[in-house]
Amino acid sequence: MKSYRILAVSALCCGLLLWAAAEAPAQAVVKVGNILPLSGPSASVGLQNKQAQDMAVQEINDAGGIKSLGGAKIQMLYADSESKPEKGVAEAERFINTEKVHILTGAWNSAVSYPVSAVAERYQIPFLVPVSVADKITEQGFKYVFRIAAKDSWWTRDQFAFLKDLQAEFNTKISTLAFVYENGDWGKGFAEGWKKHAQAGGYKVVLDEPYPSTATDLSPVVQKIKRANPDVLLLTSNAADAILLTNTMAEYKVKPKAIIASGGGHADPSYLKAAGKNARYLFDIVEWETDVNKPGAKETNEKFKKLYGYNLTGESVDAYAAMYVLADALERAASTDPKAIRDALAKTRLTKGPAMIVGYDAIEFDESGQNKHAALVMVQVNDLGKGLERITVWPKASRRAGYKPVFPIP
Amino acid sequence: MIYLLEDAINGILMGSIYGLAALGLTLIFGVLKVINFAHGSLLMVGMYAAYWAVLLTGAHPYLALVIVLPLMFAFGYLLQAVVIQPIFKAEREVREPITVIIVTTGVWYILDNLGLLVFGPQYRNIQDNPLRGKMIEAGEMLISVPKLWGFCAALVTAALVWLFLQKTRMGRAVRATSLDRDAASLQGINPYRIYNIAFGLGTAVAGVAGVALVPFYNVFPTVGVLFDIKCFIIVVLGGLGSIGGALLGGMIIGVIESVGPQFMTATWTEAIVYGLFLGFLFLRPSGLFGVKYDW
Repeated sequence: MKSYRILAVSALCCGLLLWAAAEAPAQAVVKVGNILPLSGPSASVGLQNKQAQDMAVQEINDAGGIKSLGGAKIQMLYADSESKPEKGVAEAERFINTEKVHILTGAWNSAVSYPVSAVAERYQIPFLVPVSVADKITEQGFKYVFRIAAKDSWWTRDQFAFLKDLQAEFNTKISTLAFVYENGDWGKGFAEGWKKHAQAGGYKVVLDEPYPSTATDLSPVVQKIKRANPDVLLLTSNAADAILLTNTMAEYKVKPKAIIASGGGHADPSYLKAAGKNARYLFDIVEWETDVNKPGAKETNEKFKKLYGYNLTGESVDAYAAMYVLADALERAASTDPKAIRDALAKTRLTKGPAMIVGYDAIEFDESGQNKHAALVMVQVNDLGKGLERITVWPKASRRAGYKPVFPIP
Repeated sequence: MIYLLEDAINGILMGSIYGLAALGLTLIFGVLKVINFAHGSLLMVGMYAAYWAVLLTGAHPYLALVIVLPLMFAFGYLLQAVVIQPIFKAEREVREPITVIIVTTGVWYILDNLGLLVFGPQYRNIQDNPLRGKMIEAGEMLISVPKLWGFCAALVTAALVWLFLQKTRMGRAVRATSLDRDAASLQGINPYRIYNIAFGLGTAVAGVAGVALVPFYNVFPTVGVLFDIKCFIIVVLGGLGSIGGALLGGMIIGVIESVGPQFMTATWTEAIVYGLFLGFLFLRPSGLFGVKYDW
């Protein structure tokens, strides 16, 4: 009997010790719940996001963490959404209720970020969205959602502005357009923008074709493009379908005057490798390119390339910058209270530091939580003797010195 | 009109490759009476095997079969012998053990995630191979050469599998086990060994499908999922366990996918395929060539 009592007491002591041990470091970390597609159709880009954020968090922690919180470290918790909205929502709830995270970030896919934003708003946990571009994410009147990337309506606006400048520069008339896009939230959002701008610009739309991103054969779609014979083809694709479309178009010898892609799959580093020379002369819209003229950009890219073996993409840069936006907000909030973090995020005006490798000069959120300075550039894929690379061509002020875009495709 | 013909040809070629992918599934089902949910992952393994074989040797993609076939057969044989067989033995009283389905689902997840760990999420394809991007120009029509090879591979594989099942002693043992496991073991056939062989054979056929796909398709860890669902639909359409049914079912889906988009958007063809699938389940659950009493 006595031994039982000793056992019980010592168990209690152990429990208390464990509790104390568990409690003590809890003060010294900021828990960030990060939902990303780490398997499934977007696993490739999900991993790129994760690696960029890992690198940023490592840098922030190595530099002494959040000083106003006594050097608190950022602790990143990852969950896999598999690109599925319901999975993302479940993980967000788990992060908030079980893991007690202070802030949420992610979720790459617009279709996942959109429902997750509602969860974040309901629990009043700030949700920092680096790359999901669907307009509606920041147009719900939510107070806890902040987005770094440009909205997709800005992307389509700039694609058409580029189209106009291209015609003026080369004195070539473009009259017919074809729209081909994946049938998810992202692709459909782009297509809506395109339709609006095409109408306003007086272009004739000869093909408007959504396709399932999981398609195993895209030659029927390519045949439709060929038969519609557009001057310019606009694309919104994920990685697997972007590669398949590009290769199949080369097989069927489809050659519009220009092909304009919308980042995503076309910006995936494995795209250039897998599509090879078939990708030559493609125009793509991105937020960032390795040849961007910003201090620190080259060094950061080199560090990243050394760590993971490939270049940063526009999306990875947004993900990377998001971590510095978060660190800056935490520094000013001097608290891990989600409400305080939210208020600090809303007052963000970041103009210096590692985050400023982005292509514009400040990160600042408007009323809706949208980064109002986010801007875009157009690049062209070409081979200048050193293998295929992405070369910034638009706006003209950012164009790589000495490069003249190739248009129409020879 | 010429457009329709061109699309129908593409559909038949691509569909035969779907059929080839489904052939392994239907083969394993016919004998084990179990839906193998890991089939897409086996296809993925086959594609990676073919990819590395072609990349490292620089040979013609179909020469890779020399490496891929025995490798995949051994992989399937061992997978069945080591992982799945114990479950079969534990449930030997049941004709269609549900737990085995759950095990194959586990194998699917493990293989896909192993693929993600080992190969990374990148999309790969072979840039320089003699089949890549080749087209036959017949008048105004363009026909893809790698798909034509895939079509031939599908027909040859189906014929060989059929001959094996009909004409060899081992094939007869496989058919006997598929008809009645207990009666077969009374004749001195070891059903577990037959299961291993059927699984190995199904996996090897998935390897052939992998070889057929590699010259024109991307290889990535979750590639199996895209084909998985198609394979299930094809197998139901053609009749579970039927070799000819798998090929024909594949071609039907291929033609719908290829000709359909000329009349509607590509997204709708998916709905038609699923509609057809449901229709078959309601009206003719045994499929085109399935045996009725088996269901």
